[in-house]
Amino acid sequence: MDFAGVTAVEDLSFDVERGETFGFLGSNGSGKTTTLRALLGIYIPTAGILHIDGRPFTPEAGSRLGYLPEERGLYKKESVLTVMTYFGELKGLSRKAAAAWSMNYLERVNLGEKAKTRVDKLSGGQQQKVQLGVTIMNDPELLILDEPTKGFDPVNRRLLMDVIEEQKRAGATVLMVTHQMDEVERLCDRVILLKGGRAEAYGTIPEVQNQYGGTMIRLSYSGNIPESPHYEISTRDRNYAELTLTDSTDEALILRDLVAAGVLVRSFTTSKLSLEEIFVSVYGDQNNEMAAV
Amino acid sequence: MAQHNLRTVVGFEVSRTLGKKRFWLITLLVPIAIGIVMALVVLGNATAASSLDEQSETEFTFTYSDTSGYVDPAVAGTLDGTPVTDDEAAIAAVRAGEQDAHFVYPEDPTTTPTEVYGVDKGLFGNNAYGSVATQVLVTSAQDQIGDPALTALAQGNVAVTATTFVDGEEAAGFMGMIPPLIFVGIFFLVFTLLANQMLTSTLEEKENRVTEMILTTLNPTTLITGKIIALFTVGFVQVLVFLLPAFIAYLFFRTALNIPELDLSGFNSDPAQMIIGALLAIGGFALFTGTLVAIGAVMPTAKDAGNFFGALIILMIIPLYALSLILSDPQSPVVQLFTYFPYSAPITAMLRNAFGSLAGWEAAIVITELFLLSAVVLQVAVRLFRYGSIEYTRKVSFRSVFPWPRTKCTTHR
Repeated sequence: MDFAGVTAVEDLSFDVERGETFGFLGSNGSGKTTTLRALLGIYIPTAGILHIDGRPFTPEAGSRLGYLPEERGLYKKESVLTVMTYFGELKGLSRKAAAAWSMNYLERVNLGEKAKTRVDKLSGGQQQKVQLGVTIMNDPELLILDEPTKGFDPVNRRLLMDVIEEQKRAGATVLMVTHQMDEVERLCDRVILLKGGRAEAYGTIPEVQNQYGGTMIRLSYSGNIPESPHYEISTRDRNYAELTLTDSTDEALILRDLVAAGVLVRSFTTSKLSLEEIFVSVYGDQNNEMAAV
Repeated sequence: MAQHNLRTVVGFEVSRTLGKKRFWLITLLVPIAIGIVMALVVLGNATAASSLDEQSETEFTFTYSDTSGYVDPAVAGTLDGTPVTDDEAAIAAVRAGEQDAHFVYPEDPTTTPTEVYGVDKGLFGNNAYGSVATQVLVTSAQDQIGDPALTALAQGNVAVTATTFVDGEEAAGFMGMIPPLIFVGIFFLVFTLLANQMLTSTLEEKENRVTEMILTTLNPTTLITGKIIALFTVGFVQVLVFLLPAFIAYLFFRTALNIPELDLSGFNSDPAQMIIGALLAIGGFALFTGTLVAIGAVMPTAKDAGNFFGALIILMIIPLYALSLILSDPQSPVVQLFTYFPYSAPITAMLRNAFGSLAGWEAAIVITELFLLSAVVLQVAVRLFRYGSIEYTRKVSFRSVFPWPRTKCTTHR
C-alpha cells in the first residue's frame, strides 16, 4: 500500500477466524489503520487481495459489519436518534426498526433522555456511546474496532468491554486495534504485531510470548549465579535477579542447577513476558531511532 | 441495497436541510424582501395616484403670452387662461402671489422651451403648470389640424408588427428567444442558490469525521449522487418559495403593481431549441456540481474551499461580459473560446442557443463535452472524496490520490 511513493504496508498476510477476537497491534504509524482502511475498501491497495468471508468487501454487502474508526465523528447538528436511525437504515434496517433499536440501546447506556438532543450538545463520552451504538447496530458478524477505548473514561471503557464481550458471545468476529495490552491479553485469541508495515509477530499470545523469549525466572537468592547457555541474566541486584530463558529448558532443571552451584534460593517464580514488555522491546528501538532523528 | 441507500441518503439530506431554521430564514428572506418591495411599490403607486388626482383636481388661473401664434385663445380660456402682452408684469404678479401662473410661449415652441412661472405648490402641484401649458399648446394644434387621426400620426402614435422568415418558415423573432433564455435564468438561479451547499455538503462529512463510518456502509458514488439529488430537491423547494410572491402578486395585486397581463400565446418556442437548452443546463449543472464536490473533498475547511468557489463563479459568469459580442459576432474567437471552454460553455451556449446562433453540430459538441466531462469529474470527485475526506486536517495531494503504479504490496486475508 503506497502513498505518494511511501510504502505504508508491505507483504502483510494474516487470517482472522470466524468467532475469534483478533488483536491488531503496533506503534503509531506502523500501518494498522491503513491496513484496516484498505481492508474496508476505503483505500484501494496498490497490490494484493483483501477478503472478508472469502469475498472482497463492498459497503453495500457489508451491512453486517460494524466499524468503529479511530477518527470518531457523527453528524453533529442532528439529533442522536436521527443520526442513529440514518445509519440503521443504511445498514439495512427499516426506519421503524432502526429507531426502535436505537431507543433500546440509548436506554441501556443511560442516554434515553438525550434521544432528541443534538449530537454536539452531548459530552465526549456520551458521543462515544452513541458511536458505539451505531457500530453494533444490526448485530454485526464482524466488528472492526480501531482503538475502541481511546478517550473513554474507566466507566465507559468497562461498558465498551461488556458490549464487545456480548457481541463475541453472540458469535461476532472481533478485530481490534489497541494500545491497551491488558485488554489484548484479556480479550484476544490471536494477535499480529505490525512494524514498518510488515508483520513482526503473528499467532496466539503464548506463541508470541515464546517468540520473544518466553519464560522469565524471578529469583531471590544469596551466592553467585553461574553463567549458563540456558538463560541470560537480564537483571542482577545483590539478592534479586531476573533470568530470561533462551531455550525450552525446564524451569525445574534450572532450579536444580542453581542449587547445585551453591546458590541459596529463597524464592523462585516463573512468568511469561507480558505483551506490554514485548511491545516495548519491539518498538522501543523504533522510538529511540525517531528520537535520535 | 444501493437503491435503498440512495433513497435513504436523499431522504436524510432533504429532511435535515428543510428541518433547519437557518435554511428557512435564508430562503424566506428573499420573498420577504420582494414582499416589502411590492408593498412599497403598492404604497408608492397609491400615493402617486392620489397626488396625480390632486394635481388634476388643482384649479388655478394663469396668464400667457404667445409669440408663436399657435395658441387658440378659446382653448386657453376654457382652462382659465388670460392672454397678456407684458411678460415682466405678469411674472412680477406671480412672484407677488397675485397670480397663480404665467406661461411664455416662444416664437417656435418646437425648438425653444415654453417658459412657465408659478406660485410654488410642491413637487406634484408644480407639475400641473407644465402639464397645462403643454395641454393648451397640443389642444390648440389638434384643433388647427382638425383630424384626430392626422393628429395621432403627427405624434408618431403608430404600431408596427414584423414577420420574418427563415428557410421559408415564419421566424419566432424576439418572443422566440425568451423561452430558451429561461434555461439561463434557471441555471444561474439554481447554481447561485445551491453552490455553497454543494461545496459544503461533502465537507460536512470531513469536518465531522463521519467519512469512515459512511464509506463502510455505503458506496461513495451513492452518497454523492444522493447528495446531488437532494440538492436538486432543495433547490426546487427554494425556487418555489421564491416564485410564490410573484404568483401572489400576479393573481391578487396585478392592478396595484401595474403588472401587464401575460399573453403566453406570444411566446413561440422551437422544440429543438428547448431540448438543447435543457441539455445544456443539465450538463452544465452536473459539471459544476461535480467540480464543487471535488473541491469540497480535498479542502480541509469551508473557508479554504471558498477561494476556489469564487474562481468557479467567475468562470461561469464571464461570458456575460461578452454578451454584446455573443449577440453581434458569435463566430469571433472570444465567443468560440467561451463556447467550448467547459466552465464558460453552459451560459455561452445557452445564450447562443436562445439567440439562434448555435448550430446543431456546435450544440452536439458542447453537450457531449459537458456530459462526458461531468462523468469524468464525478468519478474524480468520488475518488477525491474517498481519499480526501479522510485527510481530516489537511489538503489531499493529487499524487496521493492518483499514484503512478510503482511498488508491489500484498495485503490479504
